[in-house]
Amino acid sequence: MLDRLLTDLGERSGYDAASQCSRCGYCEQACPTYVATGRETHSPRGRNQLVRLLIEGKIEDPGSAFEALSSCLLCGACTTVCPAHVPTADLVLEGRRFLRLDSPHWIPRLASKLLVENPPLFRSFVRWGNRMIRWGVAGLVAKTGILNFLGLGALEQAAAQLDTAPDSLLRDRLAASPPPRGDAWGYFTACGTDLLFPEVGEASLRVLHFTRGAGKILENPCCGLLSFNYGSLDDARALARRNIERFEAETLPEDSPVVVDCSSCAAFLKSYPQLFLGEPEWRIRAERYASRVLDFAQTLDPEALPGGAGAGNGVVVIHDACRARHGQGVVSEPRAAVRALAGDRCRELEKAGDCCGGAGAFAFAHPELSDELLRSKIASIADAQARTVLASSTSCLLQLVRGLKVYYPDCRVVHLSQWVDESLPKRT
Amino acid sequence: MIEFHTLRERLRGELYTGEAELLTYAYDAALDRSRPDAVVVARSAEDVRRTVAWCAERKVPFVARGAGTNLSGGCVPLRGGVVVSLAKLDKIVSIDTEKREAVVEPGVVNLHLQNALAPLGFFYAPDPASFKVCTLGGNIGENAGGPRCLKYGTTTHHILGLDVVLPDGSLERFSLEDRGPQLASLITGAEGTLGIVTRARVKILPLPESITTILASFDSIDAAMGCVSDMIAAGVVPRVLEAMDRMTIDSIEAYLPCGLPSAEAVLLIEVEGSKRQIERELEKVSKLCEARGSGDLRLATDPAKREKLWEGRRSAYAALARLAPNVLVEDGVVPRDKLPEAARRIKEIAKRHSIEPALLFHAGDGNLHPNVIFDERDAEWTRRVKAGGFEILKMCVELGGSISGEHGIGIDKRRAMAWLFSEETLALFRRIKRAFDPRDLANPDKLFPLEGEPPPEGLIRPAPPAPSDAQNAFVERVREKAARGEALTVIGSGTKCPKNLRGRGEVLSTKVLDRIVALDRGNFIVTVESGVAVRALKAELEAEGFFVPIPLTLGTVGGLLATCPWLPLREAVLAMKLLLPTGEVVEVGSKVVKSVAGYDVAKLLLGSWGTLAIILEVTLKLLAARPDIPNEFPIPPKPTPGPVFARLQNAFDPHRLLNGWILEDSDA
Repeated sequence: MLDRLLTDLGERSGYDAASQCSRCGYCEQACPTYVATGRETHSPRGRNQLVRLLIEGKIEDPGSAFEALSSCLLCGACTTVCPAHVPTADLVLEGRRFLRLDSPHWIPRLASKLLVENPPLFRSFVRWGNRMIRWGVAGLVAKTGILNFLGLGALEQAAAQLDTAPDSLLRDRLAASPPPRGDAWGYFTACGTDLLFPEVGEASLRVLHFTRGAGKILENPCCGLLSFNYGSLDDARALARRNIERFEAETLPEDSPVVVDCSSCAAFLKSYPQLFLGEPEWRIRAERYASRVLDFAQTLDPEALPGGAGAGNGVVVIHDACRARHGQGVVSEPRAAVRALAGDRCRELEKAGDCCGGAGAFAFAHPELSDELLRSKIASIADAQARTVLASSTSCLLQLVRGLKVYYPDCRVVHLSQWVDESLPKRT
Repeated sequence: MIEFHTLRERLRGELYTGEAELLTYAYDAALDRSRPDAVVVARSAEDVRRTVAWCAERKVPFVARGAGTNLSGGCVPLRGGVVVSLAKLDKIVSIDTEKREAVVEPGVVNLHLQNALAPLGFFYAPDPASFKVCTLGGNIGENAGGPRCLKYGTTTHHILGLDVVLPDGSLERFSLEDRGPQLASLITGAEGTLGIVTRARVKILPLPESITTILASFDSIDAAMGCVSDMIAAGVVPRVLEAMDRMTIDSIEAYLPCGLPSAEAVLLIEVEGSKRQIERELEKVSKLCEARGSGDLRLATDPAKREKLWEGRRSAYAALARLAPNVLVEDGVVPRDKLPEAARRIKEIAKRHSIEPALLFHAGDGNLHPNVIFDERDAEWTRRVKAGGFEILKMCVELGGSISGEHGIGIDKRRAMAWLFSEETLALFRRIKRAFDPRDLANPDKLFPLEGEPPPEGLIRPAPPAPSDAQNAFVERVREKAARGEALTVIGSGTKCPKNLRGRGEVLSTKVLDRIVALDRGNFIVTVESGVAVRALKAELEAEGFFVPIPLTLGTVGGLLATCPWLPLREAVLAMKLLLPTGEVVEVGSKVVKSVAGYDVAKLLLGSWGTLAIILEVTLKLLAARPDIPNEFPIPPKPTPGPVFARLQNAFDPHRLLNGWILEDSDA
């Protein structure tokens, strides 16, 4: 366990942080799982109380808290509305670690292990996986029902619907045709971008080049979020150290940011200091690193973007990644940029900040709840009669691709950087 | 161990018995905890009915729960049993803008109703601080208030009808339009001790044309409160009239600097209406503020700028909730003109208990909220805060106020009920509870001191004015009849009785009770005996510049209330002194403009035609300007005998002595 947390009120023990919840209940309607189920166990207040009772040793059957803690999306919406900003997501993770619930599912657990211990092996697994999906093998496998048998209903659905797996990974593509090198920024290659959405990374790099000139691609390992959420803290710390060292070795100029186009990774990189509260020297290095990290949306200066109609036709809406809105407070930046580029075509999505149900591995562990949240997200997209949804995190992209395909195929989802790239004047 | 599978298989909704579930339904937003044995998440009114019927059969206690934001322990299952969650009964069934009403299920979140009404140009008036999460069912149970209830009244003023599952599992529909006593008024604010509401018909109101917000600062609490009294006396009825003291202001500014003036007290005033009305009121308000030395007056009409003025007030709780893990949000009421004294005495009490309350008032109706931070893990600190809070309630009673303006009694204040009400009154409340819930299963051990629980020290209620000789003689006469077990007919001046009334037993007229008992000019409240003629009362008050919002009819005040030909007259009724057919005298309600303590027997009796109790005195709210009230009415129908009515009779008139002719004469 982390034992100590960085909260809005300063550094606190996990117990103090949990006890800061006064049970006022103001969080309840912000919590997608409470709204969906109406169950106190599935509310932030309930989860905070359970973690507190676990720490106090007042639960006879700690396992009974499993479902409450495993069903948390970790979206952080509760913390935003909480008067004291109680960090429920961090507390839930502490609770899971307390119960040694390493992962709600073996797939993310295995992935997180491999990402630390043998990234090249993991990447070749993914290459083969992508190929299987492209060849339709996964669809065939799905038809046999074996995935369902393995408890992988969600994966089965995903396999049946994701027929657009990339033919090569971002790093391979960049190795084949490297972009111009400079030092105006460092690009952090997120695993999701690299392995599943390389075209997002290519777009981000083109836009960054347009807005800020040439930069550098950091040869970074995984940010460690997968380990932090589903694996071991030691693994997360090891990855954080490697990232910090790698960054320090790059010696970028002081005003060059580390840019990340997956909001989940960006939020986690910004939270590195919390991993090192007991190691003063590393804490300072982590703080220095975190202060340099920018979510891709934060790099866009609306004044510097050319006005026009923006790419595509019809209404454009923004779906906020939880880790952008609640994890980093990034809300106005993408809106200002999209409005600058597309004017009135940009509309506000009702409940734009509600989680889509992707939430990392949530879709594996709680497929039904995940699907309920997805449907209500798609319903609000349809209400806005949107033709384009912009997202900024890998798990949102995966979830929304799937949801739109089934429920509202008139609309497409792309990453903010892809749409900005399409909207900018043609460049060579 | 209770076996729940026979219940589970009867439900559409879910039933949980896991430890995590039981632990998280053990609390609300107050401090007490007690585990239920099971939790039912109801998915239909029928689920609620089946659950209650199942519980009734097996003598298992049950407690209804909405969002669990209760501040007095109201939804904590003290004796275990089943928590019935209404959170998923969350449909807005219909909205009728023509009839100005909406039908909702109890789990609808207050804000969700507001959001559905706003595009139609309407709103629902009660606005408790937790409106973004709390449910309408919970609001009904607690008779919740909020800043806007200065102008619009607490929840009970907005309830037109309720579907209620009674503790025996029967489903009843109560409407204000029903002939006979107002059962919907009894259920509202009963904190789930008489049944569970499964559907409500609520009043909706058109949005005001325009609203202006004013922030005014003052050199002292006295000056600010003086200004509040001046406004009410000048006939200004603001939509909102909030006050904060320096401690609150400072804590807000420390958390979220939003430019609140550095002052001893700040008033946040909102006036609404047409542009012209607002201009007129603004002129009055600013003159009155200046007269009390407020130099700094900030105005805003634009919604964004209004929000800016509200920012500080809205952050008051958050600012405190960050300073310590817990905040006691105490809730008491004093007569409006006693607020400065109350503020002083709160300071003294705080000093004695070494606590630091920050004061927030709904100043317009004398409702005060001292907010005290603490850490519940520190037993000694918690004890001091609780003791201080309790003493503040005692002070409210001493000043002639009430122990709750809008949060309810629950567990926290049940002992303090013995300060507010006499043993006889509490006994009546208990008889009502027993009449509806003989097995004591519906939210047991709430609202009243437990049997055998020692009353808090000292009888501190201010003594009421001594009754007149005529009243004494009247009471004596009824007692004699009661002692002999003889039937009795009580009328006012007889304007609504048949010409050749042959009552059962002796006919007594209340016309001898013809005194105006007390006119509280500062607080706009009058207490009158029930035999006073309506015309005489209105004339006498109007000569002094006061207007009582009841219709100008023939006959006595008591007769008007007992027959209730015009429903909105209920909004003027604050308290009653009653003579029960058993000879006991009880006082119900509170002589302040806002109180939610105890069963609302005063409103229950409207339309009861003297079949339950004899009204001796009534306390009414006054206005400074003439209200627009119709004066011609048909004589309303008399009560219909029936099973629910019989339960009420059991509580009030077990020997069926009073006004039997009404029921015999009833044309049902």
